[in-house]
Amino acid sequence: MVSIDPRSQLPLTPVVLHILLALTDGERHGYAIAQEIEETTEGQIRMGPGTLYGSIQRMLTASLIDEAPARRRPSDDDERRRYYRMTTFGKRVLELELQRLSSVVRIARTKRLLRDPGVA
Amino acid sequence: MTHRQSLSERCYRIGMLIYPPSFRERFELEMLAFARERLAVARGRGTRAVVGETVSLVLDTLRSAPPQWAHVTRERWLVEGITQASDPAYPRDNMDILLQDLRFAFRGLLRRPAFTIVAALTLALGIGANTAIFSVVNALLIRPLPYPNADRMVVIYGTQGSQGQQGVVYADYHEWRAQNRTFDDMGVFRSQSVNLTGRDTPDRLVGMFVSASFMRLIGATAEQGRLFTDAETEVETSAPVAILSHETWETRFGSDPSILGKTIVLNGQPHTVVAVSRPRIQTPFGTPDAYLPIGYYPNATGLQRGTRGVAALGTIKAGVGFANAERDLKTLAKQQEDAFPTTNKGFGVELQSLKDQIVGPTRTPIYIVFAAVGMVLLIACANVANLQLARGAARHRELSVRAALGAGRGRIAQQLLTESVMLSMVGGLAGIALAILGTKWLAKVLANTLPIDPGIRVDSVALAFAFFISVVCGVLFGMVPAWKASRTDVQGMLRTRTGAAGHGHAMTRNTLVVVQLALSLALLSCAGLLTRSLIELQHVNTGFDTNNLMTMQFRLPAVKYDTPDKIWSMFDRTIAEIRSVPGVESAALVRAFPFTGNGDVLPVMIEGRPPVKPGDAPSMLVNTITPDYFTTMRIPRLSGRDILPSDNKTTVPVIVVNTEFATKTWPNESALGKRVQIGGDERWWTIVGIVRGTKHFSLSEHQLLQGYIPHAQRPQIFTTVALRSTGNPLLLTRAVREAIWRVDRDQPVWGVRTMDQLLDGAVGSPKLIVRLTGGFAIVALLLGAIGIYGMLSYTMSQRSHEVGIRIALGAESRQVVRMVVGEGMRVVGIAVAIGLAGSLGATRLLRSQLFGVGPTDVLTFAVVTVILALVAMLACFLPARRASRVDPMVALRAD
Repeated sequence: MVSIDPRSQLPLTPVVLHILLALTDGERHGYAIAQEIEETTEGQIRMGPGTLYGSIQRMLTASLIDEAPARRRPSDDDERRRYYRMTTFGKRVLELELQRLSSVVRIARTKRLLRDPGVA
Repeated sequence: MTHRQSLSERCYRIGMLIYPPSFRERFELEMLAFARERLAVARGRGTRAVVGETVSLVLDTLRSAPPQWAHVTRERWLVEGITQASDPAYPRDNMDILLQDLRFAFRGLLRRPAFTIVAALTLALGIGANTAIFSVVNALLIRPLPYPNADRMVVIYGTQGSQGQQGVVYADYHEWRAQNRTFDDMGVFRSQSVNLTGRDTPDRLVGMFVSASFMRLIGATAEQGRLFTDAETEVETSAPVAILSHETWETRFGSDPSILGKTIVLNGQPHTVVAVSRPRIQTPFGTPDAYLPIGYYPNATGLQRGTRGVAALGTIKAGVGFANAERDLKTLAKQQEDAFPTTNKGFGVELQSLKDQIVGPTRTPIYIVFAAVGMVLLIACANVANLQLARGAARHRELSVRAALGAGRGRIAQQLLTESVMLSMVGGLAGIALAILGTKWLAKVLANTLPIDPGIRVDSVALAFAFFISVVCGVLFGMVPAWKASRTDVQGMLRTRTGAAGHGHAMTRNTLVVVQLALSLALLSCAGLLTRSLIELQHVNTGFDTNNLMTMQFRLPAVKYDTPDKIWSMFDRTIAEIRSVPGVESAALVRAFPFTGNGDVLPVMIEGRPPVKPGDAPSMLVNTITPDYFTTMRIPRLSGRDILPSDNKTTVPVIVVNTEFATKTWPNESALGKRVQIGGDERWWTIVGIVRGTKHFSLSEHQLLQGYIPHAQRPQIFTTVALRSTGNPLLLTRAVREAIWRVDRDQPVWGVRTMDQLLDGAVGSPKLIVRLTGGFAIVALLLGAIGIYGMLSYTMSQRSHEVGIRIALGAESRQVVRMVVGEGMRVVGIAVAIGLAGSLGATRLLRSQLFGVGPTDVLTFAVVTVILALVAMLACFLPARRASRVDPMVALRAD
């Protein structure tokens, strides 16, 4: 496998970033990813199937995520569902992106554009 | 609800076709599951949420498809990848790009008003017609009927031997209702007109004799008062109560506020009004003015054991299923048959879903018309695609400049696609306006052919449909030009001044024209066959003279006319009074006048033949008449004698049969003098005359076996008047009514219709189908003609240089015309070949709707082909003539 510099993937689009964030807690199927993102962003990011799977497709190609192997699933689960999980590479890219973002936030703070969390 | 779910899912699946196949293959099922969950959640929040969700799904699909194509074609033409666009001047995300494209498209459309108007109108026609017909499809075939648990409602039919779809024995129903394990409930009813008397003028109400459970099943509720109790409608404990419909209470009782508890006289008996129903209740079998307990059904034998006298309806328990319910009832019917071997011999039961019962016969015609409008829409799309190609050619320079300035191919394609979809949306909006008008008209016309008013209107589902097809059309007719544009050779285009279309371009345009004309031809063939079939139907020989014939009906109250003698003497005096009215040429009474839908089909036993099982006996349409019926109708007598005034209750029972019955039963000897038994009647009827057969229920029916017996020998309380006048029969209505009233002041008379009106009703539904498919076929033909006209005009304008040289070299204008028309007709020839092949397939599906003409009728095919060819030739001639008038100097200088 050719090793790619994770930095070449930065910056991430909001959709990709949120999908990766949703997958940090473990593997999920598509609808669950979309639902989690809708909940954590309080409805600010609500994506349709096309947008979601479009991104998943690209993330699969870029090896940010892969498909979880078939496993015993809850009996009421739909057979068609496929589960996705973050790859080590994806994790690395996410870390780098979050570092990048936090440095941006840090800069913003030093310029007093943003208040410290917890300060009303 | 399950129908609607699968509909939106199906639409979504179709919508997914705009993704690259590889993407679809990988994600289709998952995306479908995703969309399904979204829609399910939205459905829980109401129709508005469903529409909102549908719109956002469509937008999501449109937005996410182009990047996938970019991915497949490896063209980085839409900067939307894992990384964000680095150029700050470039739109950041999809939404920005979309808005920019929309703005641009909008300006573009405004800049070319002529193109926009023509294209939008073409689309409006297609989308409007489709939305209107979809509204009918939605109301009749998709939306559940307006009853609680309508999807589980069934009509319960009695059967006897091989005969199906008969009534049910009341006592059997009673047992079934008590013993079944598969039904929530069952109810029975019987419709019959009711005489309302004891007021200023006698009046006739549409009555429905029901069980209390029937009213609960159809979800009827009382606006004032209470519904019937079970005890009130049981035959043994029947109470003289009545429920008035809201409308009757308003119109006939002046919204009397103290109506509850009042007594009204129905069929000569006092009934207490216990309720006024809520407005606009429709039963699946008509809209009655008043409901009465089934126990008061005036035909006393109708409720006895052995008579399948009532119609039954039931709601199957949730989760049981049609087959199990039918099995359950069949078992019970068998038990009844064993328990009552004499009366129930051979009696069985079968179910039909209520939906099939109500909309069944309309299903095929609706699909035919739906297919026809679908074709019109495809033709409209092909037309607009052609218009756009022509425009695209003119815009080549603009596009080339944009490409040269760095716009990716895909970016340009996306822009063009946005333009198409926007154009289609404009067409769609105008189409919705057309659809609203068209739907109103359709609802009015269809109201006469359906037992219930299904509420045909452009509702939110129809609007979503219009939106959906607008998008699909936009993509459909935008795809070709967008694809063409995305393959533009920038340098080549900038170098050519005029941007003349290449060979590939002409091919595409010709193909589109071929598709249009072939579809038009297929549609014309279908319309042609249906038209011929209607003409055949209208020329069917009814067996009697249909001019100046009129009928009206009356039903004597059984309480007042309780013996055959009283009934007959009333009839005898009435017919004498009617004959004395000036302008009446001749008149008779007949129990079932042709084409009114009435008619008793009874089993016949033939003397001297071994007895057959009740279900296998031949059926005869038995009509009861007074003398002069055959004279009045001008039905020719072939042998024997007429029914005479001397045939009465003291003389031998006689019957006149039609020649079909006579020759079928006695192929080798005369039927005269033979004897038959009819229905449950013990008497033997002697055949005294043979007349020609007549059509009775429908024009397309096979000749029924018919028999006519004298009213005097079997008087029944219901009869109709058959009357032939010297002039317009309707002018006599009043005088004839008064003649009847001279005999009985209290007798309501209704159902005044001329034979012309009845025949019109008999061909009403085929006429509507012909009008619709014919109308759409003409629209298709015109669009096809415009298509070929546009194509030739455009090619000729591109080739004026060549034509100029030809003329300069001495070609005559006639030769130029011939050349251009010839070129156009070559395209027409290909279209005709393909269209005819397609027609052969399409018309086969019409078979069940055709009468007197085969699906491959050569004459029809020849005529429509000639029509298409002539119209196409005219469309080719106009641009040809223009080309022949090219001034060679001008044409050559232009280069």
